[in-house]
Amino acid sequence: MSTVVTAGMPRRSTHLGRSIVGRIGFLPALLVALIVGMSAIDPQFYGLINILNILRNASLLAIVACGQALVIVAGGFDLSVGAVVALASVVTAKTMAATAAAFPGNTALVIASGVAAGIGCGLVVGLVNGFCVAKLKVSGFVVTLGTMSATAGVGLMITSGIPVYGMPDSFVKGFGRAQLFGLPTAVYAALAVIAVMMFVQRRTLFGRYVYAIGGNVDAAVVSGVSIQRHIVGTYAVSSVLAALTGILLTAQVGSGQASFGGDRMMLQSIAAAVIGGVSLRGGVGRVEIVAISALFLTILGNALNLLHVDSRLQPVFLGIIMVAAVALDELSRRSKARV
Amino acid sequence: MSDLELSMTTEQTNRNNSFSSEWLWRAVLPIALVALLLGFAAVDRSVLSPANLLNIAQQTSYLALFAMAQTVVILTRGFDLALGPAVSMVSVGTALAMAGATAAGHDPSTVLLAGLGAGFGLGIACGLFNGVVIALLGVSPFVATLGSYNIAIGVATTLSAGRPVQGVPKLFSQLFYSGSIFGIPAAIVITLAIGLVLHLMLGRTVFGRSLYIIGTNPRAATVAGLPVKRILIGTYVLCSTLAALGAIMMTARTGSGEPNLGGSLSLQAIAGAVVGGTSLAGGRGGVGTAVLGALFVTILSNGMNLTRIDGYIQMVVLGAIVIIGVLLDRLRLERRR
Repeated sequence: MSTVVTAGMPRRSTHLGRSIVGRIGFLPALLVALIVGMSAIDPQFYGLINILNILRNASLLAIVACGQALVIVAGGFDLSVGAVVALASVVTAKTMAATAAAFPGNTALVIASGVAAGIGCGLVVGLVNGFCVAKLKVSGFVVTLGTMSATAGVGLMITSGIPVYGMPDSFVKGFGRAQLFGLPTAVYAALAVIAVMMFVQRRTLFGRYVYAIGGNVDAAVVSGVSIQRHIVGTYAVSSVLAALTGILLTAQVGSGQASFGGDRMMLQSIAAAVIGGVSLRGGVGRVEIVAISALFLTILGNALNLLHVDSRLQPVFLGIIMVAAVALDELSRRSKARV
Repeated sequence: MSDLELSMTTEQTNRNNSFSSEWLWRAVLPIALVALLLGFAAVDRSVLSPANLLNIAQQTSYLALFAMAQTVVILTRGFDLALGPAVSMVSVGTALAMAGATAAGHDPSTVLLAGLGAGFGLGIACGLFNGVVIALLGVSPFVATLGSYNIAIGVATTLSAGRPVQGVPKLFSQLFYSGSIFGIPAAIVITLAIGLVLHLMLGRTVFGRSLYIIGTNPRAATVAGLPVKRILIGTYVLCSTLAALGAIMMTARTGSGEPNLGGSLSLQAIAGAVVGGTSLAGGRGGVGTAVLGALFVTILSNGMNLTRIDGYIQMVVLGAIVIIGVLLDRLRLERRR
């Protein structure tokens, strides 16, 4: 009798442990460990300036990664997000400068036109991506590879690679660099985006259909989901969010630059999505975990900086951690499938 | 004429029709190539000068090699994002090994061997990493090679401290760049030879044929008893080895180990392969598609350079070409069905 109890107990506890890990994933644990470890090693880490810095960067990455995650859940890819960040930044700044010259003093109009132009060019790129993928049936990888090159080219062309100035002070100082209740505006923007995306993923038809399409296209077709419209939607959302990041970045830095975003932002957004449990096979992934993963990646980079790890070596760590995270995930899924 | 005969002749003409239209589709890219050359030549005569044609051939030989490397993995439904950084890493490693061996006072042939050993060693290591992570750990090619992309960039910039590595011996540059056989530059000779070997390998060997089966239907390959995991590892090693060879040739051309040599080569090589008609869905493509695609991309950028088209507009054009190329290929496939 007693042997049965002792034999049963540990088994149940490991099962419980596994189910908790299965539900939340090991990412939050890793995040907490990183934060606790870094706080113990370097008091600079929990200094206010550093925390604000981390939050600002993590917010920008999280916004792009949320859009990227949506596209990947639907079974696609968006390589063009980094280039859209750059284009939106440049277009916003150019439009603001032009409107300010035409209507001096009308700050509200200047800001509205700039933001509308930035978001608008993001929407155009997203619609082109979506159209090529959904209607012309070209693979998402190739389409966004093409639009990435084209978008980056347009961004460089209209600026000749020179930063664009001439934005109103209220946009830069009053919005981009402003703080509300001690937090940068980008953080609120990111929280809003994450909240909306969580709602979209869980409660809207669009969000549920995106899961259905990514999980099993044929089943979605048979169930009467209009695939094309929803796929166009995912690419549009991804590009618009990338454009939003470009605008936030422009407001923060105070100039529009074609060097913003780029390959680095694109690769990091995919890394954040994938480490955040979004399956590249489609159909699986939640934006809130992706946001945590964006925070994790940002803190990791920050920690490597504070630990004086040679900046040239840092990509090595990022690469190893990314592969390890996905490999662990894959192995645990396999062992679960075996059980 | 009996019914039977009639049906036979219609069948024959049908077949002839589909045969000729298939040929037409196949000829689209070569025709576009010639049209492109003539179009650029109309703007600037020097495009068709023997010197520039040789120049185009030489430039193509690098991109073709990288496109072949990508093609090998794309055939199995994968791709290698780490190709560009691997090229940088191999370039730096090769130059460092040769500079070190020269400083240690070894004779030229030992120096050369040290460089090649280091270069191919790094390339094979990168391929092994990719292959093991993809085949044994089941990580998707995108994530696995994105990981090694970062690792290779880190290794390349750390080894070189971010600066070009000098001290590449003359013999090395002669062998892989400035030398020539019957007046044909070394780079073209090497790429032609490798292309021929790879073509035979893909078409005639069990390993080569199995790449097509894995790409067309991975489950069928497993059920048929192919050692899919081992083949996949071999595929990524082959890809990285070809990339390492290309890196060595480019290092010989620049005369130094460059930590930024790879740059955007990963995506350029994928674009080259895809424009030539290699299918990202796996199982379709070969040396021919890789070379054609590389030739197309090279002629396009060479012509745009000579006709002084703005570099930023060139990026837009290249992006559009990649999408159009794949779209045409898809239409061709649909027609065949």
